[in-house]
Amino acid sequence: MTASPTLVEVEEAVPSSAPPTSGRRILTTVTRDKGALACLVFLAIVVLMAVAAPLITKLSGWGPYQFDSAAINSDLGGVPHGSLGGISGSHWFGVEPQNGRDLFARIVYGARVSITISLSATLLTGILGVVLGMLAGFYRGWIDQVISRLMDFLMAFPALIFMIAILSSLPSGNRPVLLVVVISAFGWPYLARVIRGQTMTLANREFVEAARASGAKDSQVVFREILPNLRGSIVVMTTLAIPGYIGTEAGLSFLGVGVSPPTASWGQMISSSVSWYSVDPMFFAIPGLFLFLTVLSLTVLGDKIRTLIDQGEAA
Amino acid sequence: MLVGLVASAALALTACGGGTSGATGESAGPGAKAAQGGTLQVLANAAFSHLDPARGFDGGVNNFYRLIYRTLTTQGAAPGADGTKIVPDLATDTGKPSDGGKTWTFTLKDGLFFETGAPITSADVKWGVSRAWDPEIGIGSPYAKQLIEAPASYQGPYKSGDLATIATPDAKTIVFHLKKPYADFGSVVAQNTFTPVPKGQGAGNALDSKPIASGPYKVSEYKPGASLKVVRNDKWDKKTDDVRQANPDAFQWTFGLDPATIDERMIAGQGTDADAIAGTIQAATVARVQTAQLKQRTMSGLGGCTTYMGLNSTKKPLDNVKVRQAINLAVNKQTVRDAVGGSTLAEIATSIQPPTIAGRVDYDPYPSPDHKGDVDGARKLLTEAGFASGFTMTLDTRAQPKMQAMAVAIQQALEPLKITVKINTIDTATYYEVIGTTSQQHDAAITGWCPDWPSGATFLPPLFDGRNITAKGNSNLSQLNDPGVNAKIDEIAKLTDVKAANAAYGELDKQIMALAPVVPLLYEKVLMLVGSNIGGAYLHDGFSGGIDLVSVGLKDSGK
Repeated sequence: MTASPTLVEVEEAVPSSAPPTSGRRILTTVTRDKGALACLVFLAIVVLMAVAAPLITKLSGWGPYQFDSAAINSDLGGVPHGSLGGISGSHWFGVEPQNGRDLFARIVYGARVSITISLSATLLTGILGVVLGMLAGFYRGWIDQVISRLMDFLMAFPALIFMIAILSSLPSGNRPVLLVVVISAFGWPYLARVIRGQTMTLANREFVEAARASGAKDSQVVFREILPNLRGSIVVMTTLAIPGYIGTEAGLSFLGVGVSPPTASWGQMISSSVSWYSVDPMFFAIPGLFLFLTVLSLTVLGDKIRTLIDQGEAA
Repeated sequence: MLVGLVASAALALTACGGGTSGATGESAGPGAKAAQGGTLQVLANAAFSHLDPARGFDGGVNNFYRLIYRTLTTQGAAPGADGTKIVPDLATDTGKPSDGGKTWTFTLKDGLFFETGAPITSADVKWGVSRAWDPEIGIGSPYAKQLIEAPASYQGPYKSGDLATIATPDAKTIVFHLKKPYADFGSVVAQNTFTPVPKGQGAGNALDSKPIASGPYKVSEYKPGASLKVVRNDKWDKKTDDVRQANPDAFQWTFGLDPATIDERMIAGQGTDADAIAGTIQAATVARVQTAQLKQRTMSGLGGCTTYMGLNSTKKPLDNVKVRQAINLAVNKQTVRDAVGGSTLAEIATSIQPPTIAGRVDYDPYPSPDHKGDVDGARKLLTEAGFASGFTMTLDTRAQPKMQAMAVAIQQALEPLKITVKINTIDTATYYEVIGTTSQQHDAAITGWCPDWPSGATFLPPLFDGRNITAKGNSNLSQLNDPGVNAKIDEIAKLTDVKAANAAYGELDKQIMALAPVVPLLYEKVLMLVGSNIGGAYLHDGFSGGIDLVSVGLKDSGK
């Protein structure tokens, strides 16, 4: 990979003690790339929607659980009145067939579910993956044996089938928490594997040897020497994991084992829209588009960040 | 019977539908005259629960059983009220009571044979009926066990031998001795358990895989869960049967099809699908069958069941009648109806008994404009009861999109009263077991009930007789044990005039609704699309609105 002159310049501007890739450099590069910028803007909108959901629905006038019988045609099985799935001044994205719930409000609240679950799952897998990966890579020996076998075990599992089985057999309870726990339980080994390998390499590097020779304790070596050098990998792995978790959440909700009704979720909306595809295609198109764009944006952005960090490390 | 059984069967398969147009002999449409011959296809989602007549007991199999089995009496074969009239089948009449209605005598017709060629005798009928006492086999219609006198230890002919209380003085005569007088016993012997089974046969699961036919068809090929084919039983004599037309030469069921796939195939109507019938269409398909061409192929009518929400009167604060009345007032039945597919797929229910029941009175004890719920009236009642600040209740529902949608609609309707409804989703397979176990059921549950024959006798006593509350398999979901209601049930049971009894059940319906143990939600309708070559089809009120299989046929059987 060749570093562009600009990058070299940026590198030179940064004091040599700083880590190879700074957040600010990623941000400047991303904002210069039109595609990446569009992704960033879209994600900002989705996050804003999720955060300010109650305010936004107050503005649009319809809550996510509010029925609107006037917007649907009871004599035709409950299809929305009007073309394009009932899109109108009061229902910006149209309404859900059979009950007239506002699709805009449900998209906004559905973003909350998707973002909260995927971020929580990412955080949990991040912590589990980094801690267990570093433990295995740093101490080796029997600790490594135990953790590595556990990772092999979890990765060999048909995760999706197992998640469906677990979630459908567990009592309803707090679904979002269950989803996060189940997704994380099967997600952490992928990160932990990479972290373990890198920790092993780093632990043999001269600067770690030097730190040890100068009397640093294990915890100091781990937190001051190894962890900062793993930052790049962690950022890339987690950024690329988020869209995966959004997809998993939507998939599980689609299969009927995700969040329980009436909570709005994109996956669930897509699932209930399937039978309506021919009479009300907008009911499928709108949540489908949001899910697609969110996952696409995160993936594109994650890819971009990886390229930049690779370049940074190469530089 | 529980609507669940019916719903799964109807959803699935079987034969739901039926036409208000009826078999009036028009030249076009499903009501046109059917010719003899051909193979009629049935596209279905769920397979039949059982082929053994002592085990199966839901609208779907009851309809199917008439093709392969005969009973002492049976329901008529005609649209509307004529379909629910009891007519003789194997017997020459609908029974002769004696001893004040405690002893009933039936005489068999001449020329009756099983598919094996053996004659059907009264001993075979007795053998079939006594199978109902077998603890493993008699899981279907409970009426024989409930009404006919039998030793408490009797466990069916395979374990306990002969049942002395059913006498067979000769090969043509059968005499039943009942526990107490029962005026409508002529309707009871139309139940599946009164199917003849050759003496000595049918032990264990034998009939579930290979039924022994007494009706116009016999099973020729059965792959459980995949397909079933019945062909003509040449030992059946049309002259002995005034009910069954038996038009096609064969019926072919295909099970396990996705409901959306069935709808697509029925709309397209290509190839042998032109000779097909199927269950009720999906709500999403309703808007697509509005073209003149498809409308001609649709049939719709009531399913004959009531969908309701039971309120558990043993839980606080639902033990307070005013709270239950407030919930009855507040529920927005319009949104509940929209949740199942709108006005074409359901009618709003106001009384417990559905309109197909004889003697039912049409009334609305908890009225609101357009059935949208009277929140102010409900709030007043709640304030009087001391629950103006609301409460939290748990609503059990089946893990099925339609059921969940209804639960959400109720949740929304009660929200303005500050009643927080927690929806507890229970797996479809175990749902009825859970809500029928008094220690496991919560505050409320959405379920349904279909009459076993169109009389209040099979509707109100099983649901509201306080002495029938059992720890398991309980159907009195509200656990209502009201002395007034119990006394009235006993009083009606003593009536010897069936008509007067039905009228009295209509009044009992009102008396029960004053206590508001349930919220009647919907009378669900069937809306079916049939193939363009289907004739003689009409909706049968007695089989949850299924197309009467013994009358349907193909217009052009040469296809």
